[in-house]
Amino acid sequence: MPEPMPLVARDAIADIITRWAPHGRAGLLPCLQEVQEITGWLNPEVCKQVSDGLRVPLADIYGVISFYSLLYDRPVGQVIIRVCDDVPCYLNGSQDVLAALEARLDIRAGETTPDGKVTLEVHPCLGRCERAPFVMVNEEEHGPVTPDNVSALIPDT
Amino acid sequence: METPILLHRISRIDPTCLADYEAEGGFKALRRALMLRPERIVEMVKASGLVGRGGAAFPTGVKWEGAARQPVAPKYVVCNADESEPGTFKDRVLMEGDPFAIVEAMTICGYAIGAEKGYIYVRGEYPLAYTRLAHAVEEARKAGYLGASILGSDFSFDIELRRGAGAYVCGEETALFESIEGKRGQPRQKPPFPTEAGLFGKPTVINNVETFANIPWIVRNGPEWFRSIGPAGAPGPKLFCVSGAVNRPGVYEAPMSITLRELIERAGGVKDGRRIQAVLVGGAAGAFVGPDALDVEMSFEGLRQVGAPLGSGAVMVIDDRADMWEVLLRIARFFAHESCGKCYPCQLGTQRQWEILQRMRQGQGQPGDRARLEDLWATMIDASICGLGQTAGSAIRSGLALMGG
Ligand SMILES: Cc1cc2nc3c(=O)[nH]c(=O)nc-3n(C[C@H](O)[C@H](O)[C@H](O)COP(=O)(O)O)c2cc1C
Ligand code: SF4
Ligand code: FES
Repeated sequence: MPEPMPLVARDAIADIITRWAPHGRAGLLPCLQEVQEITGWLNPEVCKQVSDGLRVPLADIYGVISFYSLLYDRPVGQVIIRVCDDVPCYLNGSQDVLAALEARLDIRAGETTPDGKVTLEVHPCLGRCERAPFVMVNEEEHGPVTPDNVSALIPDT
Repeated sequence: METPILLHRISRIDPTCLADYEAEGGFKALRRALMLRPERIVEMVKASGLVGRGGAAFPTGVKWEGAARQPVAPKYVVCNADESEPGTFKDRVLMEGDPFAIVEAMTICGYAIGAEKGYIYVRGEYPLAYTRLAHAVEEARKAGYLGASILGSDFSFDIELRRGAGAYVCGEETALFESIEGKRGQPRQKPPFPTEAGLFGKPTVINNVETFANIPWIVRNGPEWFRSIGPAGAPGPKLFCVSGAVNRPGVYEAPMSITLRELIERAGGVKDGRRIQAVLVGGAAGAFVGPDALDVEMSFEGLRQVGAPLGSGAVMVIDDRADMWEVLLRIARFFAHESCGKCYPCQLGTQRQWEILQRMRQGQGQPGDRARLEDLWATMIDASICGLGQTAGSAIRSGLALMGG
């Protein structure tokens, strides 16, 4: 079950919403992005707060969240590993990198480790094809990655 | 090799330092522009023959003129920095390595069309590009290149940044507007075109990052200079993103008279001395050409003759070891995932295409599958609202043809 949110986080979220409120609906995407940076995923409580603050219907907020792959309406790991498996990365061995990560984390792509720390995702081209196979660990860039050095991508837990 | 233009400052200047940019000619074009009448700038861009580098190759000056003529306020300038076409990474290189150039170009555009506000919509997976641009905007503002009464003129302009949130279709211009407006990124029916009713329903010029990067050069050196680069129908420098089975994958700048073979040679040739099986030109929305087409000129016209679009300038080299089925399945999966679902030909068509390909791959193709694909392709081209659905069959069709299917 979700732990209650710490007070500092509550204040930070309130600040974000206040800052974007004057933009109304046009502030929705940046507001959700900034809130998610604090909360990890967009839980029902914060969605309601954003809805009230920006005066956007809650249903529309969920519509927006479900449209964008970088917004999450369910818990994800503190660390998200995005493995590019698009054509240039595939041509340089991304499948072996993905398999090595799945084995090392003992989860399949799309899943989160049982301790809730790491989520593994397959991603379309990440725009760093000159470094294929390419992997992003949160905002950190790694490439070219080989199956042997995937351990270095996984944060110590 | 020609001296680079668009890549001229990349890795040579500190992209976080305004003084470096100024020392390399930065903001000279804006100073010059502010001394001319706005119509003169539009004329120069038109005369240069520059066409958009985001994929659709629309004449940039014509677009600017369309927005400039609208007797409506406010107007907007939008930089499309959503770069999500598979195999494309040139805009990222420009934003990370030369961010002030984008700020300068957008400001010139604002002056030319009579806009006071610009937005840059940066792909969510490009945090460094976002940081560099945000810094450049801030520095430019401090130095009086953005804000009220720019450089003492009566022209005011400012720029806001937005981050994308992981949706390929948001690179489509009207979907991008919807996204900035806080909605699901679904393309709008056109017309009206953005120059008439774009962001927030107002006249808008939206250009690709690389398109903007050409502007300061055109204003400084003139349209004749620009036209002297490259073949007659395709003036100006072009960035190519070479990836896949080559020794030195990366962004290469060349006039569009370069051939595919020369481009691959500049990228160090095929890895491990292998043979080329196919080259995917223009990204997932592009088309495959075979090894017999390597001497094609990388211009719009040259590529059209071999049935491929230049698109975003992506060139993916596939060697003889690669499994073409795996390549095609990835492209089919991509479109099935990225279709926004607004119109049925694409929503259903991209799913069916992926399913049919999967069963063909597994040797379980059904009689009539080939005809079903042909039918899907024709329907998606004719009846899809946006370019995503219209191009979703292009690479698959050309790939199957190359495989003899
Ligand atoms: C599905 C789809 C995705 C697109 N993605 C991009 C993109 O990431 N970047 C871009 O500049 N243009 C993209 N475009 C093209 C834009 O709609 C538009 O033509 C372009 O921003 C115009 O700028 P330009 O004239 O400078 O090329 C995309 C088009 C479609 C149909
Ligand atoms: S063609 Fe596809 S992506 Fe474009 S509007 Fe229709 S469903 Fe959406
Ligand atoms: S294909 Fe992996 S980064 Fe482009």
